[in-house]
Amino acid sequence: MAQQKVEIDIQDKGDYKVLVPVGDLDVYTVGSLRDALGKMIEDDTPRVVVDLDGVPFMDSSGLGALMGGVRRLREAGGDLAIACTREQHLKLFTITGFGEGVSIAPTVEEAAKGFRE
Amino acid sequence: MLVRLSLRWKIVGGFGLLLVLIGLLGYVTLSLFWSLREVQRGVFNDAVPGVVAVDEIVRSYTAQSAAVRGFLLLPSDPLLEQYAAEVSNVEGVLEESRSQFTSSRELELLDELTQAGEEFQTSVEDDVVPLAEQGQRSLAQAHFSQQGAPLILEIERLGRELRDLQREVVLRTEQDLQTRSNQALITLVAVIIGALGVGLLLTILLPRRLSSGLSELVEAARAIGRGDFDQKVDIRSGDEVEELGDRFTEMQGALKRLQQLALQDRELEIAGAIQRNLLQRTLPNTATVKLVPIQRQANLVGGDWYDVDVTHSTVTVAVGDASGKGIAAALMATVALSVLRAERGQGASARRIIERANEALKEATEPESFTTLIYATVDLVTGQAGWLNMGHPSPFMLTSGEGPERRDGRPQGYFLEGPRNRALGWFDEPGMAETTIQLRPGDRLIFYTDGFLEAKSPDGVIFGENRFAEALIRLAPLDSNELGEELVRDVERFAAGKLDDDLTMLVIEFQGAPLAQEATDEGRPVGRVTKTEN
Repeated sequence: MAQQKVEIDIQDKGDYKVLVPVGDLDVYTVGSLRDALGKMIEDDTPRVVVDLDGVPFMDSSGLGALMGGVRRLREAGGDLAIACTREQHLKLFTITGFGEGVSIAPTVEEAAKGFRE
Repeated sequence: MLVRLSLRWKIVGGFGLLLVLIGLLGYVTLSLFWSLREVQRGVFNDAVPGVVAVDEIVRSYTAQSAAVRGFLLLPSDPLLEQYAAEVSNVEGVLEESRSQFTSSRELELLDELTQAGEEFQTSVEDDVVPLAEQGQRSLAQAHFSQQGAPLILEIERLGRELRDLQREVVLRTEQDLQTRSNQALITLVAVIIGALGVGLLLTILLPRRLSSGLSELVEAARAIGRGDFDQKVDIRSGDEVEELGDRFTEMQGALKRLQQLALQDRELEIAGAIQRNLLQRTLPNTATVKLVPIQRQANLVGGDWYDVDVTHSTVTVAVGDASGKGIAAALMATVALSVLRAERGQGASARRIIERANEALKEATEPESFTTLIYATVDLVTGQAGWLNMGHPSPFMLTSGEGPERRDGRPQGYFLEGPRNRALGWFDEPGMAETTIQLRPGDRLIFYTDGFLEAKSPDGVIFGENRFAEALIRLAPLDSNELGEELVRDVERFAAGKLDDDLTMLVIEFQGAPLAQEATDEGRPVGRVTKTEN
């Protein structure tokens, strides 16, 4: 299996940060997302929106990394929200129950409004 | 610092050096030859003609003197003519031979000789011959004895002196010849010895230098043959052999890693065998329900699993999928399967089993990990089926095409999207909403994992629900075994043989019981039908 890559762009919105992964999120690439989320906690900016519009494919590893992010960021006093319009990912969130209790919205700004206080 | 020189240039350099030495040898030999020729030419061109000329001049003046003496004894014209001929001869010789003499002493002597000759001729022509012709022969003889004869003696003395000088030139030239030939001989011998020495050195050192690294490599290669990957190869020849040695060391490392990987693969194979043994290959069939499992693992071990338990009146089926891949997923699958079997063995309810599996997965795994699962029970007598869907893809129903509500007798298929719960391993309370339906004879209830839906083509398109439903409806005329195998082949073809995730499917084919047929339509379908017909 050829090693694939996912590029992760980080945007600072002042009171939270936006992670924009570009590429497939699967078992081969998910480490990058996990590391980026870990860095957010280290940098003491635990409020993060992950924008999934640049991710054409996400498997259970990608979903697991997002859930891991939710847990760790909440433990650090922050939260993780999802900006996503892709039907396929939204369906995955619904099927697995991931979407319950996590802010998911079509835009970054709307998703950020759902951060737990 | 070691100069990096390629093997090719070392060989070229070695042979080049030999060629230079052979060239030098040739040059020295030729120089010697030319040097001897030059000396030889010096002797014949300079010294010998000089000696010959001096002899001729002295002879000519002596001949002039003899002719005059004869004329004084018996005057006659032929003697005067002979004298005149010698005068002319000596002038020519003097003129021609001047260039043969190079040193100032030789030229000085030649000048003196010429002057003495001219004085002799003046004396003869102005005094001696006129006196003799006037008949005063005794006076002429006296004159000749006083003036002419001493001049001839002087000429002969000068001639000897000049000849001695010429002989010295010859002697010096011969000595020079000797010296040069000795020097050339010494140089020649030195060059021959040098060439032999360098040739010998190259013959011994070059092959040794070229082959020493190779011997080390051969030894290390033999060690690899014995399974020893640690034999050090340290070649510092600065050429391709050193490069080869470095690459060989890298190869040793790679082979060692490969060996370790092979060992890991072996361990994975064992783990895979254990996992396969945990999953039941052949499932018990009942009078009313046929159970067909289909599985393709993307790797040696995987996160997909299923389990079947048959009692006298029910069949309980579980199909699970642990998130991620490989060993971690396989261990999670084992945790879930172990809890499920242990709890079921103790007679626990479906809810209790799910609760315990959720607790075990939450405790035993990372917060990222989760397991999706369908836990279903089918009543063998009534055909009543119910399940708990824990974050798993919706089951698929394939009907036979028989019955009052089916059109054209063609098989129909649709996703059964009933109430769903959350995946296991994440939440304290995943939910326990249950779905129930009524099966009719010929119905096939299909549980499967997301590997079918998420299979990707080489250009990144996923197989998806629509292709999945279409394929199942198309394959519906086949029996359940063939249907499963054909569907797997379809997906493999779509993914060009490269499956990233496991494919697991369990077909529950309800073959019918009279009671079930009377159960009418009430129980079906419970969810939205996303695909209704072929």
